[in-house]
Amino acid sequence: MPSAFSMLRKLLKYKLADNSSEEKQAGCRGDAIRQEDSPLLEKRLDLIRKRLGESKDIVIREFSSNNNQVKLAILYVDGLVDRRLINDHIIRPIQSDFVVKNFSHRLAEKNALQLLKKHITSISEVAEAANLTQAIRMMFSGDTALLINGEEKILVYSTRAWDRRAVTEPETEPAVRGSREGFTETLRTNTALLRRRIRHENLRLESMKAGRRTGTDVVLAYINDIVNPLTLEEVRRRIAAIDTDSILESGYIEEFIEDVPFSIFPQLERTERSDKAAAAVLDGRILIMVDNTPHVLIVPTSFFQFIQASEDYYERPYIAVVLRLLRLFVLNIALMLPAVYVAIITFHQEMLPTSLLLSIAAAREGVPFPAVAEALLMEAIFEVLREAGVRLPKTVGQAVSIVGGLVIGDASIRAGLVSPSMVIVVAVTAISTFALPAFNASIALRILRFPLIMLAGMMGLYGVIFGLVIILIHLAGLQSFGVPYLSPLAHGSVSDMLKTFARPFWWMTRRRADELGLQNMKRQAGNMGPRKTPFAKRELTHDNTEEHDAGKR
Amino acid sequence: MLEKGRISPRQTGQLLFITTIATVIFFAPSLIASLAGHDAWLAALLGPMFTLITLLLITWLGRKHPGQTIFQYSETILGKWLGKAVALLYVWGFLHIGAMAVREFGDFMTTSFMSHTPISVFNFSMLLLCAWSVLVGLEVIARMNEFIIILIVSFLLLILFFSLPNWELDYLLPFFARGPLPVLQAALIPAAWHGNIIVLAVILPFMTRPTRAFLAGTAAIFASTTLLTIGVVGMTAIFGPELSSSFLFPLHLFAQTINIGQIITRFESVVMTTWMAGIFIKTSVFYYCAALGLAQVLNLKEVRPVVLPLGIILGTLSISLFQDVTMLGNFLKETRPYYTISLYFLGLPLLLFAVTLIREKIFGVCFGEQTNEA
Repeated sequence: MPSAFSMLRKLLKYKLADNSSEEKQAGCRGDAIRQEDSPLLEKRLDLIRKRLGESKDIVIREFSSNNNQVKLAILYVDGLVDRRLINDHIIRPIQSDFVVKNFSHRLAEKNALQLLKKHITSISEVAEAANLTQAIRMMFSGDTALLINGEEKILVYSTRAWDRRAVTEPETEPAVRGSREGFTETLRTNTALLRRRIRHENLRLESMKAGRRTGTDVVLAYINDIVNPLTLEEVRRRIAAIDTDSILESGYIEEFIEDVPFSIFPQLERTERSDKAAAAVLDGRILIMVDNTPHVLIVPTSFFQFIQASEDYYERPYIAVVLRLLRLFVLNIALMLPAVYVAIITFHQEMLPTSLLLSIAAAREGVPFPAVAEALLMEAIFEVLREAGVRLPKTVGQAVSIVGGLVIGDASIRAGLVSPSMVIVVAVTAISTFALPAFNASIALRILRFPLIMLAGMMGLYGVIFGLVIILIHLAGLQSFGVPYLSPLAHGSVSDMLKTFARPFWWMTRRRADELGLQNMKRQAGNMGPRKTPFAKRELTHDNTEEHDAGKR
Repeated sequence: MLEKGRISPRQTGQLLFITTIATVIFFAPSLIASLAGHDAWLAALLGPMFTLITLLLITWLGRKHPGQTIFQYSETILGKWLGKAVALLYVWGFLHIGAMAVREFGDFMTTSFMSHTPISVFNFSMLLLCAWSVLVGLEVIARMNEFIIILIVSFLLLILFFSLPNWELDYLLPFFARGPLPVLQAALIPAAWHGNIIVLAVILPFMTRPTRAFLAGTAAIFASTTLLTIGVVGMTAIFGPELSSSFLFPLHLFAQTINIGQIITRFESVVMTTWMAGIFIKTSVFYYCAALGLAQVLNLKEVRPVVLPLGIILGTLSISLFQDVTMLGNFLKETRPYYTISLYFLGLPLLLFAVTLIREKIFGVCFGEQTNEA
C-alpha cells in the first residue's frame, strides 16, 4: 500500500512542480510590461496604472502640500478602507495651514517622509514599505499608501474597514449554555475574541501567509509556555511548505497539512465556537485561524474529540458523563445499525426472539427486494433528502420534509416497496448521525455506512466485523501531528481516559492531557476540593464580620 | 532495525493476555472437562503455572541479550547455522500456532454460524486483515489491541454475568473424584495455550522499558488464568462435566442459554464478535512474529517481502493441516500440549539457557555486557 501512496505522492509533486513553473512563466510575462520603478511621482503613478489596470475600485488621488513644495499621492482600494479616516487624518492635516505655519521651512521632498510620519498625520498604525510591490500588497489588505515625490520608501497607513458580518451565534454548533459568540470571516475579529478570553502575555498570535494569489493571512494561536514546541515547529513547517494559488477556506489548509491525506477521517478538529477554541488553546493545542473563514482548525486532535461538546464542561459533570457515553453509543449506531440489521435479517434470523422475528417477517412479506437492496435504497434516499434540505432555500425546506416524510416514508410502505422496520432503522440511524456534535466526523460515518451494508449483505455479521476491523486498523495507524488518533484509548494514560470519557469536576482537573507532551502540565492548584467549613458556620462568621464592620462605622 | 515502533509494558501485557485468552476460553474448557471432569477448574488454575518457567527463561535470555529477538540471540548463542536452524524452527512454530488459531476460527464459523460457506472464505479473509496489520507494524497492532481488549473482556464478563442465574454449583462436586493425575494431565491443555507467552521473546526488544517484561508477562498470565478459571467454573456449573466435554465450542452454547426477561437472549453474536476480534489480534501477533523471524534469519532490510508468501503458507496450512473439526479437537487435546510445550515453550528456551550458562561459566564467554558497552 505505501508504495502506491508514494507513487501517488510523486505524481502530486510532479503536478505541483508543473504549476509553479507555469506560475513563473506568468511572472516572466508580467515582467515584460513592467518598467523600472522610480521614486519620481509621475513615473511611479504611470507604472501603477499600468500594473493595476483599469480597476475602478482602486483610487489614486494626487495632491500637494506646503504651497506645492511637496507633491504627494494617495492610493487605496475603495470599499476596504475607512474614507473618513483618510480624509480627516491624512489629507486634511497635510494640506492644512497648520503645516505651512509650523513646517514651511523644514518640509521639503527630501525629508517629507519622517516629518509626515512623526508630526503631521495622525493615524496610530503606520509602516514604511521598502518598495512599490510591498506597498501594493498591503494596499489590498485595506491599507492606504502615501507616495511622496522623490522618495523611494512609501508610507502605509492602516485604515482597514469594510462591511463585515457581526459576531453571531455559531450556527453549526449551537449550545444551550455557553458563549454565543461565534467566529466570523474577519481574522482580526476572531483574534480579538480569543484575546478577550485569554488575557495573558504568553498567548501568541503568529502570522503567516499562504496562497500566492489570494495572499491569505493565517494565524497560529498558542500559549507559549504550554504548547509542545515540537508540534508547533511541525505545524509551522507544514503551513510554510504550502505553495498554492489560493486558500479560500480553512479546509484547503486542512488538506495540505494532514498526516494522512487519503484518510476518510478528519485529522484536524474544526470549530466555530470561540469558547471551544479558547479551551483548546488552554489545553496546549494550537489553533490555525484563516482569514475569511469562521471555522478555526485545532491540532493535534484525536478521534474521541468528536464525542465531546463544549457544553459538557459547563453543566454538571454527571450529565456530561451520561451524554458522552450516549454519544459513543450513537456513534456506533450511526455507523453500523443498518448493516447489522441487514446481516441479521439476511443471515442470522435465529438471533432474534421469535415474536420479534415473526412481526418483522410479517412486515417484510411482499417486499420485492432483498434486505441489502432495501437498505441501500433507503439510505440513498435519505442522503438525497438531507442534501436537498441543506441546499434548498429555507422557504422551500418545508416541501422537502413533506415529500420526504409523507410520500417516501408512508407511501413507499403502503405500496409495499420497503418494510416499516427498515424505515425505522434508517430513521434511527439518521437521528443518531445528527446527535453527534462534530459534523466532519459524521461525514466519515455516513460514507462508511454504505460499504458496511454491502459487506453485511454478502457475509452477514462476519462481514460487518470484517469491515469494522478494517476501519480499526486504519484508525490505529492514524496520527494527528504525532498524537495517535485513537488516544487516549490506545497509548494513553488512565487520567487521560477519565478526562475523555467522563468529564471530572473542574476542581479535580489538576493536570492537562498527558498525550500532548506539553511543557506545563499543571492547570490549577490542588486544594480546591469540597469545602470543609459547614455552610451555617460560614454564614455565621460572615454575619459577625458585618456586624463588626457596622460597629466600626 | 526492522521494527521502528515501540510498545509500552502495559501494551505488552495486553498483547500477551489476548494471545492466550482469545482462543483458550473458547476451545479449552470442553477439552479440559473431558480429561479432568468435575475438577476442570483446578486444571485451569494449575495449568498456567508451567508457563511461569517459560516466562522466567525468556526474560532472563532477553536481559542477557538486550535489543535482540529470540531469532537473533539463538544465533549469538548457538553459532550461525545451528542458531539459524533454531530460529527457523521458531518461525515454523509461530506459523503452526497461527494457522491453528485461524483454523479454530474458521471451524467455529462454519459449524456454528454459516454452514454453507467454505472455510477458506473465513480463513483467507481473516489472514488478509492480519497481513495488513503486520505491514503497518507492531505498534499499531498493540494500539488496536488496547481497543479490542476492552471489548473482549467486557463481553466475556457480560456473558458470564448474564449466565449467573443458570449456574448450579453442585456440578462442581465431588472434589478430586478421579485423583490428581487426570487433573495434571488436563492442566497441560491450558498450559499449551498460555505458552503463547513465548511471543514475548520476539516483542521484548521493542518494549520501551524491557525491564518490565517479567511484570507484564506475569500480569498477563494471572489475568488470563483468572478469566479462564471463571469460564470453566461457569461452564461446569451450567452443563455439568459430561455434557460440557461433548461440546466443541462450549462458550457459544453457554451464551445461548442466556435468557433474561425474554429481552436479553441469544448472545451468540456477541461471542462471535469477541472471538473474531481476539483471533484477529492473536493471528496478527503470530503472523508478525513469523514474518519478523524469517526476515531476521534471511537478513532482510524490511518485513514486507515475506508477508505475502507467509500469508499464503498460513492460509494453506490452516486448511490442509486438519480434515475436520474432530481432528482439530483431537490434535488440540492429545498432541498439541506435548508438542508445543516440549519444543517451543520449554525445550528450546531451556537449550538456549543451558548453552548460555555453559559458555559463560565454562568457556568464559561474556554475553550482554559487550552490547551494553558498545
